[in-house]
Amino acid sequence: MATLPSVAGIGLRAPHVARVQADRPQLGWLEVHSENYFVDGGSALAALEALRTVYPISLHGVGLSLGSADALDGAHLKQLRQLAERIEPALISEHLCWGRIDGRHLNDLLPLPFTPEALALCCERIDAVQNALGRRVLVENISSYLRFESDVMTEWDFVASVVERTGCGLLFDVNNVYVNATNHGFDPHAYLEAMPGPAIAEIHLAGFDARGPCLIDTHNARVAPPVWALYRAAIERFGEKPTLIEWDADLPELEVLLDEAAIAQSILEEAHAVAL
Amino acid sequence: MPSLSELQRGFAAGTIFDDAAAIAQLGIVSAGIDPASRIAIYRNNVLGNYRKALAATYPVTRRLVGAAFFDGAVEAFVRAYPSRHGDVNHYGGDLPRFLATYGPAHALVYLPDIARLEWAIDQANIAADAAPLDLAALATVAADAWGDLRFRLHPSTGLIESPYPILHIWRANQPGAGDETIDLGEGGDQLLVRRTAQGVTIERLDAGDYALLAGLSAGATLSDASRRAQILDPAFDLSATLQRHVASQAIVAFCAATSTARRTQP
Repeated sequence: MATLPSVAGIGLRAPHVARVQADRPQLGWLEVHSENYFVDGGSALAALEALRTVYPISLHGVGLSLGSADALDGAHLKQLRQLAERIEPALISEHLCWGRIDGRHLNDLLPLPFTPEALALCCERIDAVQNALGRRVLVENISSYLRFESDVMTEWDFVASVVERTGCGLLFDVNNVYVNATNHGFDPHAYLEAMPGPAIAEIHLAGFDARGPCLIDTHNARVAPPVWALYRAAIERFGEKPTLIEWDADLPELEVLLDEAAIAQSILEEAHAVAL
Repeated sequence: MPSLSELQRGFAAGTIFDDAAAIAQLGIVSAGIDPASRIAIYRNNVLGNYRKALAATYPVTRRLVGAAFFDGAVEAFVRAYPSRHGDVNHYGGDLPRFLATYGPAHALVYLPDIARLEWAIDQANIAADAAPLDLAALATVAADAWGDLRFRLHPSTGLIESPYPILHIWRANQPGAGDETIDLGEGGDQLLVRRTAQGVTIERLDAGDYALLAGLSAGATLSDASRRAQILDPAFDLSATLQRHVASQAIVAFCAATSTARRTQP
């Protein structure tokens, strides 16, 4: 099983697979959405099996719904376990959110109230997933467009508590911190300071949409300048971490993703030089 | 304060069904944007995900009705047929069934069958791989015992039958195709959809050929399936048809009927 190097990688999406296979761009690793490979066969799975021999792979889930009041979806977890056995990923991650109620999936990353009930449920589910997979998983902080009156703690205390109680890793999404800081009016550096640095095993960067009354985490643009600044602060604080450029909608040419990854790589190298 | 399950139930009612009373019960902090507008952001995201996923699976269906009609149909479909998978890629197999009863699409009688064809294409892309049929093993079965064998089709196989010329309609609505008028009375289609080394292919079958594969696909023995084929097409040539489908790997495995019966006993 490969480990992720503390360098930049990209989220690999279907339209870029052929180019990446043919050109093998210099990237430290690749991340894919686990669910896109919950298939029995076909060319997409074959391509991933070929790419895993070239790049370390991170499996990033979007549908396990760790915070749902519904029972954990055993079939989904089984598919994830089978995929993990097939791909032997360096990392497996999921989101700290919910997406399913009364058997209906909403297929989105929905916000939790920051309550003891939600915290206990998430921790129980993460324990179950880590036991089922026989390894540590990472959980990612999400973007949100609302807060509940029932919150009794901050988002960063909720995230830090989950990591502390379960021993899971943290996939720290710097863009999501910036989006939420803007949407909910808090200082993103307060969030940063509350994070357990050694548990951060990966960082996500992406672009947002600022046209509405809220910033929307659309993954359809370059990383915004203030997010790059927050990323620098995170790397200075936590050290070099594997860093991913995510792009999901309005997908540009592969070169644009590689260019964004090169910017992240240069920030990582600056930090490395300072550390030496 | 709502419990977590109450909160999530209300959130789903607010986003999927636009239920104002449910939104009011959620205890959403306004902070400059009212709760309904905040839920509307999620509604746009959730429905947008489904629109995008279903547009990718059903491009011809969408082209036939137009984007605005399709988006409206998706919204009604999402309400009527909840997603049961954490993976949005698995969602949408019920769209043909939904379209058959969707009032605004009533005049487009061929639409559900086009959608069935597109779902079969989508599923063929992700079905399991399979090795070719083991001819050496088949040769060990006495020729007069073949009628009792059950043959298995490639896992990617879809068999789609329609009283309308759906393959013609499908081809005329591929990207870059010019305008064309199609006579719905030109005859129906019996289609074999499957994945080959070249990708997903669609092949038009004649009645006997289709009956044979449909029978085998449903678990009939070779003799039962070919009897049905011969009734529909007196000129049906079993040996040639079987040989062709084995060579093209539409048929990939066989087993003795008795052993199958034993295995399927509870």
